[in-house]
Amino acid sequence: MPSKPLREGASDPVRTPDSALPAPETKTAGDAKPVAPAPSAANDLDYSNFFWGSGKDPFDILDPFDDWFDEARPQGYYLFGQPMSSTPKSRIDVVEQLHHEKLKNLINLASYNYLGLSYRPEVIEAAREAILKFGTGSSGSPILSGTTELHDELQHRIAEFKDKESCLVFPSGYSANVGIIAGLMRSGDLIVTDQFAHASIVDGIILSKAQVRYFRHNNAADLDRKLKDFNGRKLVIVEGVYSMDGDLANLPEIVEVCQRNGARIMIDEAHSAFLFGKNGRGVAEHFGLDDQIDIHFGTFSKTLGGQGGYVAGSRKLIRYLKGFARSYVFSCALSPGVVGGLIKACEIAHDEPQLRDRLWENTHLLQSLLRERNVDIGDSKSQVIPIMIRDDDRVFKVAEDMIHSGVYLNPVRYPAVGKHRSRLRISVTASHTKEDLHAAADIIARVMDRHGFLCR
Amino acid sequence: MPLTKYGFKYAVSAFFEMSRDAAKRAIPAHLEPMEVKHSLGVFALTAFDFTQSEVGSYEELVLAVITPPVLGVGGEFPRSAFFPFCVGTSTEASRLHAIERWHLPHYMSDIRVNFEEKDGKMTVHAHEKGRPIIDLEVSSHKWTKVNHLYQAFTVEPPQRFKADIHMAGDFTEHEEETGSLEIHPHPMCEPLLNADVASFPFRELWMKDGVQTFQPLQTL
Repeated sequence: MPSKPLREGASDPVRTPDSALPAPETKTAGDAKPVAPAPSAANDLDYSNFFWGSGKDPFDILDPFDDWFDEARPQGYYLFGQPMSSTPKSRIDVVEQLHHEKLKNLINLASYNYLGLSYRPEVIEAAREAILKFGTGSSGSPILSGTTELHDELQHRIAEFKDKESCLVFPSGYSANVGIIAGLMRSGDLIVTDQFAHASIVDGIILSKAQVRYFRHNNAADLDRKLKDFNGRKLVIVEGVYSMDGDLANLPEIVEVCQRNGARIMIDEAHSAFLFGKNGRGVAEHFGLDDQIDIHFGTFSKTLGGQGGYVAGSRKLIRYLKGFARSYVFSCALSPGVVGGLIKACEIAHDEPQLRDRLWENTHLLQSLLRERNVDIGDSKSQVIPIMIRDDDRVFKVAEDMIHSGVYLNPVRYPAVGKHRSRLRISVTASHTKEDLHAAADIIARVMDRHGFLCR
Repeated sequence: MPLTKYGFKYAVSAFFEMSRDAAKRAIPAHLEPMEVKHSLGVFALTAFDFTQSEVGSYEELVLAVITPPVLGVGGEFPRSAFFPFCVGTSTEASRLHAIERWHLPHYMSDIRVNFEEKDGKMTVHAHEKGRPIIDLEVSSHKWTKVNHLYQAFTVEPPQRFKADIHMAGDFTEHEEETGSLEIHPHPMCEPLLNADVASFPFRELWMKDGVQTFQPLQTL
């Protein structure tokens, strides 16, 4: 329960003045207790400072972290994970977590729901029917009793959509990446991945115990250097769309380097499957290289508006992973309700290519509106658009101002991105109206100007 | 023991990815390398232009591996911690002072460190009688006044030490990956051979017109 009663905000939210922020609570440390850094240091420290602890008790780190977070939270960390009180449509209500104030009718530029499928009536109805028929849970591992007819149908539909022989569905995108990589690669093997690879790729690599090398972002020449002197089994992993910058994998050059060095290629299409390419198969199809990729990974939480992850590829690959991907074997299968909704969402993504057309129109419109207004959006080539702030000390204040001015988006700062490569991240969807995007661009430019971040 | 202060005109630093195995080899067994990514340690290079100290003015080059800090009880939180595995200075007096007081491992001949600041960039060239050691280039971001706490670990087997160091002055840092590093074949750089040290820093830090203050050395 919130500590203060919810307040309904005005339909045109007004920015909360800084003076309204409560003073950070301070704690007095006892003689035997670690204390938080000085208040002025709260902004200078971040999560990375609390990764390692020392002392004899693993819990010794908890008090210093807790004290720091008490001070850091009202300075901006409260902006993460604020509860939404409506469906993730293009306009949303959010319960702001500092004053527990409900902010209404914000323009939603934060949700991954790229085609607006999570709240389509047909998808909701399909999910409802699946729950009525199969119940809320799968009640077992997919290799034991957790597979329903619906799970089989979803795997079949995805394989068909991706034009691959077979597909395996995992309970989350994270578990899919971990399961695929650790299921296939072994100690003594080499995995080379882009320096900006997602945490789930890195964690899969750690679990596999293979040697890892990172190549400089999208730099095929550096990839070549990292592959050259290794004679064993090699796997290269790239992402279709990089989720923090919105740029695309330099796939033509990367594929050429991999083939020349005898490396297998895996592509993570979390932010690009069902969107890019003539048939929506992803960035690999967009570049005409779909058949050159050995392992196609994707998620259901982005474009299809559900939950889960998948791998698509040859029948033999999928059969092998079914036995060796531990995150698949040792997790409960996806809820039938989610699976029912995903089957319908996949059908709509296939049958309504005009949704993708609308997404790209919206993406190009917002990109050009922001550029016209001198907003730095980096090198985005997709529906993921960063608004570059490049100032870790001020990114939270800008995000706070955006939200109170009527636009909901997420701040991103170190260590999620490099120091002073902080930004606000936008996700454009097909369901935004032109009016939404014009209004959002105006608000964003106004707030950026107010904080002195417009490019001149 | 009183605090030991060193006034500096420049303290230019950069962090580089390096092989975790090589980082582990460069530090004592009781320390672990900090991993910037899975299997990658951090090589930290710092060049000082000291203008005031107990042993006069001198230049210094510090080669270090970043390690996890020791989190104290009831104290200030360190920004980061490091183990210097080789220090080079421009005067004998500064070497003898640092060896005696801080147990820092030194290259025992004079080296020179040249600093050139131009258009928001700093170029550092370290050499021994013209023989190049290291060339580093970093750039600035926004400048702020800071007073940061760092920790340095040293050893005099079997003893282990920790020094708390405050760095106060004008400070800038960023991770735009625009800097560069060239490591030359010089005895000081031997631990960096076959260490897969990146040719560009993932973090660039630069301080000006500041004071480095050492707390008394603590035995661990």
